[in-house]
Amino acid sequence: MRLTIRSRSRTSVSRCTVALMALAILAGCATRPDPNDPEEVAEFKQTNDPIEPFNRSMFAVHQGIDRLVLRPVAVAYRDVVPPPIRTGIRNVLGNLRTPVILANDMLQGEPRRAGDTLGRFLINTTLGLGGIFDVAGNQFGVKGHSEDYGQTLAVWGVGEGAYLFIPVLGPSNPRDLTGFGLGIASDPLTWVGQGVTVDVLTGTRAGMSVVDTRESLIEVIDIVNSESLDPYATLRSAYRQRRNAEIRNANDNTAPSAAGGTGFGVGTGIKPPPPGTPLPR
Amino acid sequence: MTAFPRRMLLGAGLGLPFAGRALAQQDIGRAASFIQTTGQDLVAAINDTRADVAARRLKVAAVLRKAVDIEGVGRFILGRWWRQATPQEQAEYVKLFEETLIRNLSARFGEYQGVRFSLGRSQQRTEDDVLVNTIIERPNSAPFALDWRVGEVGGQPKVVDVIAEGTSLRLTQRSEYSSVIQQNNGSVAALLAAMKRQIQQLAAREQGAR
Repeated sequence: MRLTIRSRSRTSVSRCTVALMALAILAGCATRPDPNDPEEVAEFKQTNDPIEPFNRSMFAVHQGIDRLVLRPVAVAYRDVVPPPIRTGIRNVLGNLRTPVILANDMLQGEPRRAGDTLGRFLINTTLGLGGIFDVAGNQFGVKGHSEDYGQTLAVWGVGEGAYLFIPVLGPSNPRDLTGFGLGIASDPLTWVGQGVTVDVLTGTRAGMSVVDTRESLIEVIDIVNSESLDPYATLRSAYRQRRNAEIRNANDNTAPSAAGGTGFGVGTGIKPPPPGTPLPR
Repeated sequence: MTAFPRRMLLGAGLGLPFAGRALAQQDIGRAASFIQTTGQDLVAAINDTRADVAARRLKVAAVLRKAVDIEGVGRFILGRWWRQATPQEQAEYVKLFEETLIRNLSARFGEYQGVRFSLGRSQQRTEDDVLVNTIIERPNSAPFALDWRVGEVGGQPKVVDVIAEGTSLRLTQRSEYSSVIQQNNGSVAALLAAMKRQIQQLAAREQGAR
């Protein structure tokens, strides 16, 4: 019995390796650094992008989709839907993420943050009319924060793995992509009910998340595209830095609760404390 | 929520020897007032609508030259390519880098009209640097937080980095410039050419803005 399991897992591991190797061959690896140049080797490691040519072609695909679909839809959304309704939609999306955020607060051993998340959910779902109004944040001063399985894996010591760029989803890596999948799989809303209505609601939520995220990033991405000498490299660096800040919980204002666990959804928008707030010393 | 880190910081502060604590606070105070002055000078230059764009740009340039460790930051960003560049390339790079910094701001005078600036919290980060937190407010757009890394260069406080939402500008720019050089088979000249094109674009935008 034990033998069968072991051999089965071994075949799946080797199958996985073969698939990865095929991917790498198809992708074409980045030029290896000259081993005699320690600075070049250090930079190669720091950049963490061994399949850069593959990622760059995925980035080109993404830029095409973005120009034709994502950005125009986000701009239209901003033009047509008034700000208070957009804020309400963002709040609802954030509230719906509560189960994932709460689970990860607890998995990271952060009872205080878990308490914040649970309290926010209870207040916003009731007084906030199903999450439309952020009563917990605005009236009770309990600000939302983002957590996801990618961050939890990082806190548990899992390395990020090689950088990945995935069209539509955006910048990522094997750890955050796994976390993204776990987030969907562990979300009770993924499994509640069945039938056309549920499918429509699930699809609407996923679609709205993409539009909401893209809308919040219109200016930022426009600036990167028009002013960076290499938008691909700028996004790669910004994603990894920001992700690390989130993992450290360095700044709870970095990502609101509606932010996803990977890609462009990481850290959309920012709400600094109002000026004049008593400051920690 | 803010109570928790505050308590932790307080605990950390009490744990330090008193002399060390006093010294650290003095450094923070100095860095914070330096950023306060610099920020006010910049905001005043940007909002001075009586002057034309060129005059405002000169004013901004003077503030930046005084407050930013331009050569140090520029060298940091060029990283390992600095030593591979010829002395002429190095000199031209520093000049172009300074121009990029100034033009990046002057191309946005229109957008930043009416900007306000205030100090947020301020905290010691490493032995040499202080991070000063500020809030930037613009009419009709959400305020955002900006952290200024202040180091000591030649006995004077100087800005060595700007950090927005956990993203360091000098690290991002280092990645960008290095990538441009690598995509051009290690040619620093290719980066300089790209920087020149970028400055021309920014100058064109500055003309268009106002």
